Amino acid sequence: MANGIRLDRVSKRFDHTVKGEVYAVRDVSLGVGQGELVTLLGPSGCGKSTTLRMIAGFETPDEGTISIDGQDVTHVLPNRRGIGFMFQNYALFPHLSVFDNVAYALRVERRDEKTVRTLVEEMLAAVGLSGYGRQHPHQLSGGEQQRVALARAVVFQPKVLLFDEPLSNLDAKLRLEMREQIRELQKRVGITAVYVTHDQEEAMAISDRIAVMERGVIVQSGTAQDLYYRPATEFVARFIGRTNLLAGRVLSPSDVEVLGARVTLATGRPAGSAVRLVIRPEMIGIAPAASSIPIGRVEQRTFLGEKTDYQVSLGGERLQVAATDHYRQPPIDVGQSVAVHFHPEGIHILD
Amino acid sequence: MGEGSPAGAVSLVKSRFLTTGRGIAGDPALLVTVAVLWALLALFVLFPLVELIQRAFVDEGHVTLAPLAAVLSDENHRSSFFNSLFLAASVGVLGTALGFLFALTSVRGGLGRHWLTCLDAAALLPLVSPPFTTSISIIFSFGPKGFISHDLLGFTNVSPYGYWSTALAETLTYFPIAYLTLRPILAAIDPNLEEMASSLGGSRWRIFRTVTLPLAVPGFANAFLLLFAASLADFATPLILAGNSFPVLPTQAYLQITGMFDFKGGAVLSLVLLVPAAAVFLLQRYWVGRRVYVTVTGKVGQRSRSRALAPWVAWLLTAGCFLVAALIVYFYALLLWASLVRAFGANNSFTLNHYRVIFTEGLPAIRDTLIIAAIGMPLGGLYGVLVGYLIARRRFPGQRAMELVAMINYALPGTIVGIGYLIAFNDPPVALTGGVLIIIACYIFRYSPTGIRATVALLQQIDRSIEEASSSLGAGSGETFRRVTLPLIAPAFFAGLGVVFIRSMTAISATIFLVSISWTLITVRILENMTELALGPAAAFSVFVIVVVFVVVAILSAVLARLRAPAAGAAARSFLGG
Repeated sequence: MANGIRLDRVSKRFDHTVKGEVYAVRDVSLGVGQGELVTLLGPSGCGKSTTLRMIAGFETPDEGTISIDGQDVTHVLPNRRGIGFMFQNYALFPHLSVFDNVAYALRVERRDEKTVRTLVEEMLAAVGLSGYGRQHPHQLSGGEQQRVALARAVVFQPKVLLFDEPLSNLDAKLRLEMREQIRELQKRVGITAVYVTHDQEEAMAISDRIAVMERGVIVQSGTAQDLYYRPATEFVARFIGRTNLLAGRVLSPSDVEVLGARVTLATGRPAGSAVRLVIRPEMIGIAPAASSIPIGRVEQRTFLGEKTDYQVSLGGERLQVAATDHYRQPPIDVGQSVAVHFHPEGIHILD
Repeated sequence: MGEGSPAGAVSLVKSRFLTTGRGIAGDPALLVTVAVLWALLALFVLFPLVELIQRAFVDEGHVTLAPLAAVLSDENHRSSFFNSLFLAASVGVLGTALGFLFALTSVRGGLGRHWLTCLDAAALLPLVSPPFTTSISIIFSFGPKGFISHDLLGFTNVSPYGYWSTALAETLTYFPIAYLTLRPILAAIDPNLEEMASSLGGSRWRIFRTVTLPLAVPGFANAFLLLFAASLADFATPLILAGNSFPVLPTQAYLQITGMFDFKGGAVLSLVLLVPAAAVFLLQRYWVGRRVYVTVTGKVGQRSRSRALAPWVAWLLTAGCFLVAALIVYFYALLLWASLVRAFGANNSFTLNHYRVIFTEGLPAIRDTLIIAAIGMPLGGLYGVLVGYLIARRRFPGQRAMELVAMINYALPGTIVGIGYLIAFNDPPVALTGGVLIIIACYIFRYSPTGIRATVALLQQIDRSIEEASSSLGAGSGETFRRVTLPLIAPAFFAGLGVVFIRSMTAISATIFLVSISWTLITVRILENMTELALGPAAAFSVFVIVVVFVVVAILSAVLARLRAPAAGAAARSFLGG
């Protein structure tokens, strides 16, 4: 891959006062194609921000190499990498007006003032902030500041756009709006981007691909569908969406025993071996049929509008069940016995 | 004056941020800056100190304690050592008491805002005045022809010289340090704590004794040590007021050099002074200073009016404060009066002659002082901001060392710095004595640490990502510093400017060793006038200095107020802390 970003076995250690030397990032390899948006997703402290900061050049890897558009930038200063960076706290220059903030990179490049004016005005219009040029950052709302930060990061046509949890300071509604705007702009400009977040929904909404990180390591990367339906590890299964993680035993090449019931599922494993199964809540059906097997009991019911969540106890486990077709059937009361049905195509076997 | 006093807990700050990995090797601008700063620090801080110690303790290539023994065997020198300690302890106790009186009245006295402003102004006046003002006024008041001793009380044969007048003058000069130290501590004591004690049935006095006072104890210790150090280093006041009967170390060292041309003896004496000064400084910095906790929440003004003071006590405290404030104002009024009459105490007819004198005969001193202050101000401001930035924001080998070395001349008594410069720069390879450069360098390296501290404090409030943003937008470290960091730390820069300017106008303890025929200072001229008993011109010079300092402080405050950058107020406050 000539264009785009390439991380090759990158590691970063920090000196910790108590634990000594700890790896923040360990042996991470990742490729981001030209125009692609890849999200680094994981809980706080998983190394996603450090990875991003190494791509930006704010941190230098202890091992491994980073290249942008085929050029090794591992030891290149941030200002020579051609990156646009969006910070969690926006990091607007408080002493400069909106216009001067956006114009900053162009002026550093010594572009002539006429070009600067044209480009900045265009950019401000693109993020819906025409006429805000003379304001100062502290006069703007959080969402407006965010858009200034976006305009500032994009206006000088960097090779790469990097986002460090840019939406986490915004309220829920604005977050939705902003992420659509970011995605739209990124696609329109066709710029290669890496996005960091701990919010799995945001990651799924915005990314071409997602790399899930845990304790400094990328545990799985793929499309949102890959991660949701075919998680590689228990961690990924639990981190992305809600999940039922069940222990099963292979009975035959086409049958697995789960919670005392026989489910038709081809595992490709020898009979008698134990397997762990991931079943998403919406892949379980329940119905108030007294005769069916297995029989569970409804413990809790939550109506959420687009679906109804149930908690069903079965074989000593508590299953998360989401009924998305609930508008067709009357709700099932708490305490009622239910027949539980696993959709075989929704069951994923963990290795 | 507060020269050389480590006023305000010096907070040298270790950055809380994780280090950025980029080393000094990858950043030529940083490398060059650090190298230049180290060269300057080595030349103007370390070299004089080493030369001073060498002059004192090395004889023909051998380390010897003989000079020390010689100095200590001298009865006069020995007593000056104990006099210094005794004076410093007295000023420490009296000044802390006075500072506490003001702090308590200010925080709990229930005074209106305007009265508080008046009180503050009177209390802070001595901190921005040249070093002799109180001393001169005491002579005008209590001398043989003194306004109080002679005119009012009718004494004919009193001497204003000696321990008591020196202690009085120093206490009045330095107690604002205690006031500034204690006020935030008292203000930070949660009135709820006292209200709770009150609800448990404690009497007011009991609550004050068992709750308020114990909470303020670290503050007392801190204030005492700061005053002790200030008095120990004070040169101007004892030079005028102590007289022959009460020699102290800084004046003794000065006389040893200027009177007897005994550089070695002066060096040894100044280093004797270093022992208690260093002890007090370290004690204050690393022990007491760290125990003083003031939580700044920004929620000032909504705390309930504490009822911990009985009304009559509040009245008494207020009366005491205004009495002291009146004394200070009286001293300054007297100074103005003395500058405007023909001969103070003898001929009270109005004249502008003294001002004519200082602007004719005295003009070289005024010109030199202003030139020196004007050159030192921007350089000192820039130096302070640069070092503060490097300490707070960059990582490079020897950073901690630079932080410490940059503080040395600030912490040392001026006498030591002055003698060190005199010895170090008198002969080749670096012969600077007699020139203007040596005086400017002395001020920059002695008074810029206030700017360093202000810069560090300000940078800690500015998120690092702002500089990273600039870097990601294509700006190198030099351009980022110029376009982003510098504008943001402008308040600290101006505060640093202000302090260097004020001290350049008012300091004497170090630079008295460095003046020459070609370059002299107003403060030195004041001293000469005093010894020649030309009191009128001395008063006129003092008034001139005070007016200039006030004008410059007012201008800088206005500039600071216009800078909307965060923490401009905090930087402005550090004017007085220096």
